[in-house]
Amino acid sequence: MSISIKLTGGLHREMVTDLARPHPFAAERAGFAFGRVGSLSNESKVILLCLYHSIPDNQYVDDPTVGARIGSEAITWAMQAVYYGRPGREGIFHVHMHPHRGRTGMSGVDRRELPRLMPGFQAVGRDAAHGIIILSLDHGAGWVWLPGSKEPVAASTVSVIGKPLRVFEKGVGR
Amino acid sequence: MEYPKEQIEELKTYCSKVRAATEGEITYLYLEELRLPAGCTPEVCDGLLCPVARDGYPSRLFLSVQVSPPYPRNWNVSNARIGEKNWYVFSWKVNLVSPTLAQMLVAHLTGFTKEK
Amino acid sequence: MSRERFSRQSFLGRDSEERIARCTVGVAGLGGGGSHIIQQLAHIGFQRYVVYDGDVVEESNLNRLVGARSVDVPAQTPKLHIARMMIYGLQPNASVRGCAGRWQDNPEPLRECQIVFGCVDSYQGRHELEVACRRYLMHYIDIGMDVHGGAPPVIGGQVILSSAGSLCMRCMGFLTEAKLAEEAARYGGAGARPQVVWPNGVLASTAVGLAVDIVTNWTRRALPYAYLVYDGNQGTVKESATLRNLKITACPHFSNSDVGDPVLLEL
Repeated sequence: MSISIKLTGGLHREMVTDLARPHPFAAERAGFAFGRVGSLSNESKVILLCLYHSIPDNQYVDDPTVGARIGSEAITWAMQAVYYGRPGREGIFHVHMHPHRGRTGMSGVDRRELPRLMPGFQAVGRDAAHGIIILSLDHGAGWVWLPGSKEPVAASTVSVIGKPLRVFEKGVGR
Repeated sequence: MEYPKEQIEELKTYCSKVRAATEGEITYLYLEELRLPAGCTPEVCDGLLCPVARDGYPSRLFLSVQVSPPYPRNWNVSNARIGEKNWYVFSWKVNLVSPTLAQMLVAHLTGFTKEK
Repeated sequence: MSRERFSRQSFLGRDSEERIARCTVGVAGLGGGGSHIIQQLAHIGFQRYVVYDGDVVEESNLNRLVGARSVDVPAQTPKLHIARMMIYGLQPNASVRGCAGRWQDNPEPLRECQIVFGCVDSYQGRHELEVACRRYLMHYIDIGMDVHGGAPPVIGGQVILSSAGSLCMRCMGFLTEAKLAEEAARYGGAGARPQVVWPNGVLASTAVGLAVDIVTNWTRRALPYAYLVYDGNQGTVKESATLRNLKITACPHFSNSDVGDPVLLEL
């Protein structure tokens, strides 16, 4: 069983443009993407992202020990979005960008902090998949919590369906 | 696209559940375990009612299986793909003026029972 | 694979070979158009394929089915086999998922693709492929040709690119209710349509050219959609006149959120 992620070129551009903007005090930006599940062969799944929400500047917490920390207002907004996404089984994905080229992954802080969001999302949006997406300047990676799963599955590919078409493979450099 | 609640309730008398399925610009009505007219085999199958114009028909009733009716029908689409499922539909034009959903459904089902 | 193999296409970009190899392409229909596409994709270096066709080679196919031989007719060779041999003959390490039947009866493999080529015979078939490609986020490239009676006959054809977030075949004026209705009234059966190899070749080449541009971006031009019309009598491929009069900039026929497995809402 494997999981892949797809998004359009337009959505990818929107995310990258937003995440690359400087923030008054945070070193990084974050956002939320929304996506739905598609079934593939051999019980594999594809996450199809369809929307991106930029977290407003005033919803960050000034914490110099981390790249970015989002505040309770942002989390509340996210929970509400998951709630309203329930009829369509639309899940939420925390998105941020690491400002380097090549393959990217979760930093120590990401690994410690981001999975903590998932149980709350899963409690509200039980039938949806949720997760984490991290972009670099020319790559991308994702981790998906399928409905009911306590552990994530690392996406085998993240495909940007635009021009140029980009297929970011887990474990492959560019 | 939303349909009047009372008309949805009326549809439920013909099947076990009514659900909405949107694809493209059309919201179809998924009729679970739709009861077919006497003489049809099977007696029950899932239906998909398209209440708006499609393929040159004012409305269409798609079925989850190719039904054997009392009289032969022209199954002009033996595999229409809607909502990631394959459906069957026979050539039957329903020309009613502003029907309710149930009236539309009944008119389509009547297509099974008319000799011509 | 020797670097010499692709040395003549290095203008596509330094990492073009890698990008091409990483892409999964789907081809629905391995007849006159699809077999041409398969041949070109294999030559260029595509490695991952999902292909559909349940037919075997018949005598009437031999005027245009690329890769088919006379012996394939009595042998009733599946078109799927012709496609596999073509691909493996050029790309021995390719991954080919072949489905002997309609994609609608085994849709899951198609959803793994990033680009799908539609080489089908009907408007309904094209519409269904486009819907699937929008739902599961795949670039859709459609080709088709026709010969209209007359003195002389007129050969026409199209190559269309439809991608999520941009204009669809209805927006571009190719798919219309009138065409779908007329086809439904004929009960979908078009009968034996005239088909010849060289228009298929023009259309397939144009389609593959679009795909390579999408993957490598070698032209650096924006390509949100395309509708190219082939005039077989004049020997031209031009942008469709319907695009010149286009008043819409965003597709009203597909919603960006209508992706993934359909969800039925209880009423």
